[in-house]
Amino acid sequence: MSDLSFRSPAGLIAFARSLRIEPRPRQSARFKLALLLGVLAGALVAGAVLLLVTGFEPIPSLRLMITGGFRSELAVRRTLILATPLILTGLAAALAFKMVLWNIGAEGQLYLGAIFASGIGVLFLEGRPTWIAVPVVLAAGVLGGGLLALIAAVPRAYFGTDEVTSTLMLNFMALFVMNYLVLGSTSPWRDLDRPNFPTGEPIPEVAELPLLWGTGRRGLHIGFLIAVILALSLWSAIRHSPWGFEVRAIGDTPKAARYAGINVTRKTIAVLVLSGGLAGLAGGIEVSGVLRALEPGALSIGLGYTGIVVAALARLNMAAVIPVGIVVAAITNSGQALQTLGIPNSVVVAFHGMLLLAAAAGQFFALYRVRVVDRSGSGVAPEGKAI
Amino acid sequence: MNDTVFVLSIVAAIASGTTLVLVSVGEILAERSGVMNLGIEGMLLVGGVTGFWAASATDNPWLGLLVAVVAGMLFSLIHAVLSVSLRVNQIVSGLGLFILGSGLSAFLGEIGSTPLIRRSPPRDLDPVFPEALSDLPLLGPILLGHDPLVYISWLLVAAASFYLFRTRRGLAARAVGEDPATADAAGVPVALTRYVHVLVGGAFTGLAGGYLSVALVGAWQQGFSGGLGWIAFAMVAFSGWRPWRALFASYAFGGLTNLGLTFQLLDIPIPSDFLLMMPFAFTLLFLILFTSNTRLARKLGAPAALATPYRRESR
Repeated sequence: MSDLSFRSPAGLIAFARSLRIEPRPRQSARFKLALLLGVLAGALVAGAVLLLVTGFEPIPSLRLMITGGFRSELAVRRTLILATPLILTGLAAALAFKMVLWNIGAEGQLYLGAIFASGIGVLFLEGRPTWIAVPVVLAAGVLGGGLLALIAAVPRAYFGTDEVTSTLMLNFMALFVMNYLVLGSTSPWRDLDRPNFPTGEPIPEVAELPLLWGTGRRGLHIGFLIAVILALSLWSAIRHSPWGFEVRAIGDTPKAARYAGINVTRKTIAVLVLSGGLAGLAGGIEVSGVLRALEPGALSIGLGYTGIVVAALARLNMAAVIPVGIVVAAITNSGQALQTLGIPNSVVVAFHGMLLLAAAAGQFFALYRVRVVDRSGSGVAPEGKAI
Repeated sequence: MNDTVFVLSIVAAIASGTTLVLVSVGEILAERSGVMNLGIEGMLLVGGVTGFWAASATDNPWLGLLVAVVAGMLFSLIHAVLSVSLRVNQIVSGLGLFILGSGLSAFLGEIGSTPLIRRSPPRDLDPVFPEALSDLPLLGPILLGHDPLVYISWLLVAAASFYLFRTRRGLAARAVGEDPATADAAGVPVALTRYVHVLVGGAFTGLAGGYLSVALVGAWQQGFSGGLGWIAFAMVAFSGWRPWRALFASYAFGGLTNLGLTFQLLDIPIPSDFLLMMPFAFTLLFLILFTSNTRLARKLGAPAALATPYRRESR
């Protein structure tokens, strides 16, 4: 094998022909961790190339990207605050994807959750006790996200309507509704005391999430704890409960699941609505824990789409969504620090894309291994080396 | 008569529909070979930002469009490698392309000594026909008054349709999209066909992005495609994977995106957010209506191997 020369095109073609792709039998935990690190490294290299080509210093920028989210107490708190919605939208994507339901609509479901939560807060919760107001606001968020997902779920379950397109269209529709409520009208969601600069009407103080660490908008709220508990419960439910078994069964082979007596139609609706509810909860938490009003600009920063990146990197493992969500949040937050180096914030979004593409490529290495096979011999070389 | 609401609406529908035509026909070519590319919104943005950069740097709109085409192809190459060679899930790879494209276009638009946001629009594309012809009543503005890209898009639709349904290669490509194992056994190079189709689809989408930023908008701003790529993606299914139908469906939706103009001309006040929402709402509505009728859906016929990677060894 070693005498193959890569210097000539013929050698390269001969090498390419000697590659065999075959299924990878089992994956150890060490292999999975190595794969995740490999995926991260691949995305980092791609990011470094982009920065190099556009004339920036790649090494200090990447170092900032990795460590920026953890370098001070405030930075860690900001990372965990941003990780909260990312964990929830990551769970939303991971749960739906597990059943091969492509809910791309976490973005819109988050908006509608935020609209419901802030609406209930502004209209009904003034002067109520906190122990009622906070659960009601969060439940409203879940309801909003779940309802938006239901619009896509029912046609998907009964007619097989492509949920990729329908959830995407709903993303845009929810965005325009949110913009209309605050920027384009004088609805109850808009703060009418500030007519020149449209902002959201603040929710009553009783509906604000209690803080765990720090104060004010920069304090870490209990939403983070809720997200972690939900992730662990879902992880356990998928692994150990009959409900989780059915989700996995439908995801693996829907036909067999149907023969086994699982009601796939009902399950499709239930899982999509639950997925939407998780994204809606993220919206409710952003409103009651961080923004304290419906703020279209601060909400439409791609939290839903980034959730897909989180889910893919976690390889749909609900527990892995927690650390991955924190890492992605740290990277996202480093955008501000990167601006001090003259690098636009948007490089972070490009990096999210690289992470998702690298995760997709990682899927290949998880499922297959590449062997170098000597074609000149008997056809199959038992000593073929796995790469 | 040439400035009536009717004529102006049709002209606007064709202008904004042209982007949709180019994107949806490009995606039809890719999907007919069995590869679904969800990343078109990202490819549009990348084509738009690179095209605008080249056009404003050289003050030559055609050079801008050429750069946009190349950028679209290079960008779609990522998807081709991942989905054809590495057999990864095409939805995940496409979404990665979308997110990368939106980030990349925003990033490229903000860097440099004179960022694209602050650059003035490049020279316009010259109209094809002289004013005497385009001023003819009714037919003039609707058929003869457009910029060259509209006519190019008609040629491309005709070429794509002829290729897919009237040539051997087109037949082979459709076979790859329907049943790659059989096509492979018949000697059709499956991977090569899919690569070529994805790249050509990328070229179409890049061109559309360049057209949008260089000619239609004449400026670059973040996320300037505003979801057009996603609508074009839906258009592929509505058109039953047929280029000519995609052309007319695109003009219909071009009309919907321009309803704001029509309502303005007719003095009907509707909040702009709802006008912006309309194309997405109609797409969703059509999607549900189309699929709720199973006979209709079956008649439309998606390529059977759409979004399924081909594994030769498991044949």
